[in-house]
Amino acid sequence: MINLKNISKVYRTKTIETTALNKIDLQVAKGEFLSIMGPSGCGKSTLLNIIGLLDQPSGGELSIDGETTSNYKGKSLSKFRNEKLGFIFQSFHLIPDLNIIDNVEVPLLYRKINAKQRKEMAAKALESVGLANRKKHFPNQLSGGQKQRVAIARAIVGNPEIILADEPTGNLDSHMGDEVMNILSNLNKDNKTTIIMVTHDERMAKKTDRLIRLYDGSQVA
Amino acid sequence: MIKHILKLLWNKRRSNALLVIEILLSFIVLFFALAYIFFNTEKAFSPIGFDTENRWMIALDDLSNLDSLNRVEIMTNLKSELLNTEEIEEVTFTTYAYPFSNSNARNGTDLNGFQMTALIVEADSEFNKTLNPNIIEGRWFNEEDYNSSTPPIIVNKLFMETYYPNHSMIDSTILFDDPVKIIGVVEDYRYQGEFSEKKNIVFRLKHFHENTSCVVLKMANNTNAAFEEKLSKIVNSTTNTTGSIIQNVPKLKEQNSQQSWLMIMAILFTCTFLCLNISLGLFGVLWYNINKRKSEIGLRQALGASGFDISKQFVLEVIVLAGIALLFGIFFTIQIPLLNVIDIESDLFYKAIIYATLIILTLVFLCSIIPSIQAANVTPANSLHED
Repeated sequence: MINLKNISKVYRTKTIETTALNKIDLQVAKGEFLSIMGPSGCGKSTLLNIIGLLDQPSGGELSIDGETTSNYKGKSLSKFRNEKLGFIFQSFHLIPDLNIIDNVEVPLLYRKINAKQRKEMAAKALESVGLANRKKHFPNQLSGGQKQRVAIARAIVGNPEIILADEPTGNLDSHMGDEVMNILSNLNKDNKTTIIMVTHDERMAKKTDRLIRLYDGSQVA
Repeated sequence: MIKHILKLLWNKRRSNALLVIEILLSFIVLFFALAYIFFNTEKAFSPIGFDTENRWMIALDDLSNLDSLNRVEIMTNLKSELLNTEEIEEVTFTTYAYPFSNSNARNGTDLNGFQMTALIVEADSEFNKTLNPNIIEGRWFNEEDYNSSTPPIIVNKLFMETYYPNHSMIDSTILFDDPVKIIGVVEDYRYQGEFSEKKNIVFRLKHFHENTSCVVLKMANNTNAAFEEKLSKIVNSTTNTTGSIIQNVPKLKEQNSQQSWLMIMAILFTCTFLCLNISLGLFGVLWYNINKRKSEIGLRQALGASGFDISKQFVLEVIVLAGIALLFGIFFTIQIPLLNVIDIESDLFYKAIIYATLIILTLVFLCSIIPSIQAANVTPANSLHED
């Protein structure tokens, strides 16, 4: 489903050139739960950004569902992200001025879905992460684990085929981390959603189907 | 999307309140400035009701110490001397209500609660040939009118619209202190200048030798300034005085308007400065807001917003805030014409409201475009890692 061929990423300034990713080859099958591990600065998040089309590789080719992603530009790129991908971030990235249900609704704003249907879909997503009773709360009224569950609800509200999670348990204690991990595992099993997760936590990585390790921008295992 | 934006703005109402107040105050200041400019330019560009080109004026020295016989003789001589001069085509004698004078005499009548007031202009039968007022109905005074049993008067259009709308009153006798007969209607005679308000005018016929304040002359084309010396000699020798002053009417008109134009220019300058300040303020606030919300922008892009969606959201947010400020502004300012707070034509205030609204909306739109385009160009990967 996801095919990375010879992917490189180099950051250049006037005086310095930093290689963040060096010729990465990776295939992720549909419905697979993959974790990426490695020390800080090894390129895990860069790789996830490239797979999520949030960043462009300096070299190589990425294709999803057989379609080369470099063909996506402007509106088609936004549409692809909106319909195919769901994102979960370490720092949750909830909009503080919107309540929980409105936060979950955001991806649907960019589809032609009416307000009533949006509300129903967001409520259903919140229910699936066990936060149906917190719809009207604001992010600052929730614990870290609850915030991450809201972020998961937002990621799944549009039924994406792929979820990209960048250290989703990084800011949570082990109990909360387990809760979030269980939700992701269930999503993967029940909905056959492909999940790629960046993590520092060996314990969490072991719960996934496959683990790859990066070191200094290269895949080492 | 609008509902989503309204929610966002409502939840940030405290921080948005300052921007709304800034736009509201700017709107109110702009409204008053525009109302002032419209009020004055409308007057300046409407006809004053008489010709000024090639007109000269002589403010006569005081002749009040002369007995009536002597005065008649001197004035008759003066008129004939002036008319015998090649450079002078027409001559009229008037009193205080001469072109660009600040003097006025108001007269009125109150008949069983029906009040009628007007500025009185004393004119002779030659007035129309000299100053060429636009007669829209009836005629000007003639020689026979001096002997009329009922004194004739000529009124302006505003007088007719005020007291006899949709009526022709030519040759009708009305009570204006005494019974008088309306024989003509002129467009207007705003002798106090281009910026003077329209007022009811009543011309009363007065024999030229009784009008000893001022003589207005219609000069031949190409009469040069050197003729002033010759004219002065004629006036001084005929009236046996030395204190008469000769003035050029177009110059008087220019001097009369200068201060008002200066005031309008000053207000226009202030308005421009205000608009510039609003623009810079808005630009700064938007720029700051967008920089503060970079991670939100990145997030929205990750969730499927296109560059256009991002720009549209930021432009709409500011337009909605401006719309709220303008609604309050319009609510306050519309009270002025509705409650008739200032006794000025209400259309003018409505016009000022419309223009102030359009100016503010245009400024807000223009100021939001560049920051919004910048917001659309934020790269999601970087902005999501800035938090």
